[in-house]
Amino acid sequence: MLTLGTKPLTAMIADDEAPMRDLLRARLAAVWPELRIVAEAANGVEAVALGEQHQPDIAFLDIRMPGLNGIEAARRLYQRSHIVFATAYDQYALDAFEQGALDYLLKPVSAERLATTCARVRSRMKTPFPTQPDIGQQLAKLTSLLEHKGQEKPKTGYLRWIQAQVGASLRMVSTREVLFFQSDEKYTRVQTASAEFLIRKTLKELAEELDPDEFWRIHRSTLVRVDAIGEVARDLRGRHMLRLRGHPFELEVSRNHTYLFQQM
Amino acid sequence: MRASQINHGLDFMRDAFNEASKLWWRFFDWLAVVEWRQLFLTWFLAVVFCIILNMPEPAFWYVLISFGVKVLAGGKRRAELVAKEATMQANVATLERRLMEAQMAALQAQVEPHFLFNTLALIGQLIETDPQEAARVHAHLIEYLRSTLPQMRARDGGTLGKQVELSKAYLSIMQARMKDRLGVRFEVPDFLGSAPFPPMMLQTLIENSIKHGLEPKIAGGTVTVRAYVDGATLHVEVCDDGIGIDPHADDGIGLANIRERLQLLYGANAELVIHTPPAGGACALIKLPYKMMETA
Repeated sequence: MLTLGTKPLTAMIADDEAPMRDLLRARLAAVWPELRIVAEAANGVEAVALGEQHQPDIAFLDIRMPGLNGIEAARRLYQRSHIVFATAYDQYALDAFEQGALDYLLKPVSAERLATTCARVRSRMKTPFPTQPDIGQQLAKLTSLLEHKGQEKPKTGYLRWIQAQVGASLRMVSTREVLFFQSDEKYTRVQTASAEFLIRKTLKELAEELDPDEFWRIHRSTLVRVDAIGEVARDLRGRHMLRLRGHPFELEVSRNHTYLFQQM
Repeated sequence: MRASQINHGLDFMRDAFNEASKLWWRFFDWLAVVEWRQLFLTWFLAVVFCIILNMPEPAFWYVLISFGVKVLAGGKRRAELVAKEATMQANVATLERRLMEAQMAALQAQVEPHFLFNTLALIGQLIETDPQEAARVHAHLIEYLRSTLPQMRARDGGTLGKQVELSKAYLSIMQARMKDRLGVRFEVPDFLGSAPFPPMMLQTLIENSIKHGLEPKIAGGTVTVRAYVDGATLHVEVCDDGIGIDPHADDGIGLANIRERLQLLYGANAELVIHTPPAGGACALIKLPYKMMETA
């Protein structure tokens, strides 16, 4: 009734799961029959493209989508379209939506909940833009939230996989498997419990890319996995020799790295 | 006064005796485990030193006593020490294994809330639009949960056939959600169905393929599960043609868990190999010992 006399409002639905788009379309037809669905997108990239093409008044965006997630898509669309997020389970996001007074739907979308949300959106649409104050900032905050949740370790960006050419395919050796790296003239030797690989990456490059809490440099030519260190003892020549736990390797610790093992 | 002096004297004597006996036993232990070659070297040094000082008796006694002790008691003492060390190592190994078992129990209960909520949302939707499909997905979900929740896990889950069945249930659910974005191919010969295979490993690899390889890819792709025997080794491989592995992405608790469990169950006879084929995507291969079935 609010839209009577003006041209009908338009909407876009973006969700990577077709059954979810079907459900939302059916529900919207029931609670808001005047709303015209002008576009349906199956991923974030498509959502942005179709959103820019059709400029719908309202964009229903699923949060988890391939290509671009819903929040990233929203950052490109919010200036022209009113955003309503949809998610099945994202506690962190729901809290943020509540705090930021953003509109959202919980999947599977119930008719009552959708009716409430639609009523709210309709009343917001009466006032001219900007209807959602500082939504840009909120979305930026949400993006960083989305990037950091679910990772127990806040550390990111360190090298976690070593790529070694074995025959025609590329072997991916998890750094968790590696006992130590040792430079060997042109190559770097990667030693695991059961195998050894040669890679072209230099020890210097590795030392820069690996997590310094995961691997320690104990010698000009050796990086050792901290978890694998068993004990350090002096041999007859007075050198510090490092033994690995459960593996028959002995590695020399150079004089200027012995400080790592003092007071142990 | 005198009594206390005597007490002091006795204390001192006792301390001195304790010290001496401690030193003696340390010498004894050293003798027991020292190599003959090194012992000869100390004899030689002692003899040379004493000849220089021109009093050969101490060297003579040293050689005689250490030779006697090493021959008579060395073997026994050495065995004792070795046994003690072995016991300690065994204790450490037991402790480590217990710790790992506890960790494993905690890790195995990994049903992702995302997966559960999305699947329930799908079923809720299908009940209205396609009740038969809803019933099908619902049945798959129950089968999946039965295998995933440790307290519900069936006792006979440890065969490749069973694991493949459960993976098919999971993949059917994912296909109902991703529609034609997800293709599935199984190349597992029937005769391998009865081969023993640890629970939840195939499942973890398939979930990884979908979550990290195919879901983020707009066009989607195919998961291929392959099993074959090469010599006495069973190969079970999960491949996808997804976006591949980001070298900076953490390999996750799932793969580490598989590696630990393989190590625990088969020692050095099993391994998990991850590789990326030239055409792209990612492959995870589990190799473990295969015994010909006792065909009765």
